[in-house]
Amino acid sequence: MGEAILKLEGVCKSFGGVVTAKNVDLKVMPGEIHGLIGPNGAGKSTMMNLISGIYEVDEGKIYFQGEDITGTPSHMRARKGIGRTFQTPRFLYRSNIRDNLMLGVDLQDQLGYFKSFIGKKGSDFLKELDELMELAGFAIDWDEDITAIPFGQRKILEIVRSMLGHPKVMLVDEPAAGLTTQEIGQARDLLMFAAKKRNIGILLIEHQMDLVMSTCENIDVLVFGEILARGLPQEIAANPIVLEAYLGRDFDD
Amino acid sequence: MDMLKKAPKAGAIVAFLVLFSLAVTWKMNNYTVLVVNMALINMITAYGLSIMLGMCGQLVFSGVAFMGIGAYITANLCSGRLGFFLPGHAAVVAAVALTALIAWAAGILFLRLKNSFCTFATLGFVQVLYVLFLNYEPAFGGPKGIPEIRTLSVGGFVFDSYKKWYFLLLGIVLLIALIVERIRRTNLGRSLASIRDNEIAAQSLGVNIYRTRVIAFVIAGAFAGLSGSLLAQHNRFISGDQFSFAKSTTIVIMSMLGGINSTPGIFVGALIVTFLPEVLRGLDKYLMLIYGFAVIIMMIFMPMGIGGAVSDFLKTMRRKHKVKS
Amino acid sequence: MLHGAASPDNKNGGIKVNFSIFFSMLVNGLSMGMIYAMIAMGLILLIRAVGVLNFAQGDLLMVGAYIACVLIMDLSLPFYIAVPLSLVLYALLGLVFMLATYWPLRKASYPVAPIIATMGASLVLSEGTMILFGSWPRIISPVLKNAQGKALTVNLFGTRLQVQFLLIIVVAIVAMALIYLLFEKSYIGIMMQAAAQDKPTAELIGISTLMTTAATYMLVVVLVSIGGYMVAPVYTVTTSLSSLNLRAFAGTVIGGFGSIKGAIIGCLLVGVVESFATIRFSSYKDAIVFLILIVFLIFRPQGLIIDKVADKA
Repeated sequence: MGEAILKLEGVCKSFGGVVTAKNVDLKVMPGEIHGLIGPNGAGKSTMMNLISGIYEVDEGKIYFQGEDITGTPSHMRARKGIGRTFQTPRFLYRSNIRDNLMLGVDLQDQLGYFKSFIGKKGSDFLKELDELMELAGFAIDWDEDITAIPFGQRKILEIVRSMLGHPKVMLVDEPAAGLTTQEIGQARDLLMFAAKKRNIGILLIEHQMDLVMSTCENIDVLVFGEILARGLPQEIAANPIVLEAYLGRDFDD
Repeated sequence: MDMLKKAPKAGAIVAFLVLFSLAVTWKMNNYTVLVVNMALINMITAYGLSIMLGMCGQLVFSGVAFMGIGAYITANLCSGRLGFFLPGHAAVVAAVALTALIAWAAGILFLRLKNSFCTFATLGFVQVLYVLFLNYEPAFGGPKGIPEIRTLSVGGFVFDSYKKWYFLLLGIVLLIALIVERIRRTNLGRSLASIRDNEIAAQSLGVNIYRTRVIAFVIAGAFAGLSGSLLAQHNRFISGDQFSFAKSTTIVIMSMLGGINSTPGIFVGALIVTFLPEVLRGLDKYLMLIYGFAVIIMMIFMPMGIGGAVSDFLKTMRRKHKVKS
Repeated sequence: MLHGAASPDNKNGGIKVNFSIFFSMLVNGLSMGMIYAMIAMGLILLIRAVGVLNFAQGDLLMVGAYIACVLIMDLSLPFYIAVPLSLVLYALLGLVFMLATYWPLRKASYPVAPIIATMGASLVLSEGTMILFGSWPRIISPVLKNAQGKALTVNLFGTRLQVQFLLIIVVAIVAMALIYLLFEKSYIGIMMQAAAQDKPTAELIGISTLMTTAATYMLVVVLVSIGGYMVAPVYTVTTSLSSLNLRAFAGTVIGGFGSIKGAIIGCLLVGVVESFATIRFSSYKDAIVFLILIVFLIFRPQGLIIDKVADKA
């Protein structure tokens, strides 16, 4: 086994007495889809925010490609290669699809504002975009408002945008929530492509167990900010503690 | 497709400018041209605001203060009150550079603050400078202002009539408008839009929010400095009351009416705000009242201004067209 | 626009400051500070309730002063009719203001839109009054008069003071305390806060946001209008009263944006600084006030007093 691309060591975070991360260790390998599951309020999204630098950790270290990024500001983490999607997609709702996707390309190019202003061209991303959109399974009209496409497509498009930024690690927060079965399949294709063809390490938060079981190589179970169990999908599915703490309850919905 | 869509728009803009310039040259009296010129000068500052408020979503009042800084730098360099005269174009360059520098220093302090806090800081900045402009005699001429500023001359060509100035100012405004459009279409514009619409998304896409906001503020400041420098050489006299908070609100209103996020919109908005007094002569008393009502009504029915309404209309047309074909 | 001075300006800058002058400056400053505090409190209540930074607060205060002036001077209504009537009119003004500048805009896609609308309203109010009443300042007789009908004065610590200044302080404290109690302690106040924090849920459990928003605006406008009525006798009734708004902004920020206690202290500070600045730096007093504002923003953006920050604007 090689070097982990993303590594958390003893990460702690609490908000005014409420502990949302307690001594969390976590490893994501390049090209691996790593599941992070747990009941609502377990601190999964907080974990994403800690890794991408929206929140600062109280204690512990975060390593990216072996480099300590615990104190690195959020935008620098993104530039180093930590991409991210959100539970509710975060787009510029007053801009068209072009500008929204170009933000991902800008992240990949990392051109200075002045260089871009005087016309220095970034990378040619159109071929890559075509490839990704084929996996995504729907066509887009550049000039259309982002709000003109359905929610599910928006969520898939956010994965595409993140991939246009050429991340090395992608934090994907509940990609299946609000998607049709067909769209979930497309999201799965994209994620598999990202991991297997692009060697991106993916940390996947998801409630939809089919998606988790069919994509993840390793799974961590987070309950009340603590890693309760860790292992292969089949081990997790059979783990009585997990079943009791999480799956048992969640199967109801 | 892209070209087809843009060409009629660009054609319409060029046709409008040509017609307007012909009207300015043949039909307008000196006073009216002066009014047009003032509109063009204010527009440059308004374009700065459109970068801060339209693209970045941050309401700032500082444009007028930087306009004042640019104007007073130019006035000092071109009126002989320091014992020398700098050529007008050199003064413009000096004013823009110095104003940008001051905007950078102020931006570093102010742009750490978010939303209303930042707005308040720029409001305070305007008030402090306004009082200084009005009262501090050694640098700003005190209540009497600074008279006898030399008019601009470039390579022996003296801009000694309002009509000559009109063409110069129009050229500069077009240049500024092109810069704004270029910013909108490059990564700076997108980064600013992401800060405006979703800061967390911006960060997760690698946008340095603070630095980007400061850069936008410096560009807006440089525009305002340019506009102030031109104002000083155009009017040949400046005084503090031209840079008051009230003037600031006028520029905000001008930009909002035209459409804060629309480059042609701001042009039209500034012209309307400037020309309404001429059209409604005799109703001058009610003018500001009318503006007030207009602003409220605009905010209710088309918050993105005339420009925003037009582009929404075009979008709907396009969609209908797409459905048909 | 910003040159309406609240207290007698001394341009010659060299007056000897003895206790008597010091004391009267202090009282002047505190009473003006109280007026700013009333504006500021209204400002914060609106920000908390609807997230709108209201640029027309000063204009509302000015209109309040004109309404009082019309009722008392032009119609010479007796005090006991004029006061309740003016309060009703103030509340109506608040309702109209809310319906024009906020309600149609509450779901605007552009968050700055309602703020810009208040700037438009500021123009409408100030220009409207200018057209109706002209720019000439009007005199309104003080609430407490002596036998000759002049402003009542009183001797305190060997200093002759206009009672109006003391009255401003008392009325301001009472009005603000009442509003504070109403918002923080009463059932309707708690309802208003609930509606402000979570509009959809409030609607679900049957709180009408239209009703609570209207009530908030009405109370706020009543508060600032009372300020206008109180300050009018010492300031004269003029459209430049609206410029008091900017100094209230300064006080609000100095005190800690969003904290009512802080804003009151900040506004008192602004009033006093301004009052003492007239002794030596009369023409620079605005610069001093706003320089303090900037310094506070940069070095202590949380203000004098840390409270819940409610900046939704």
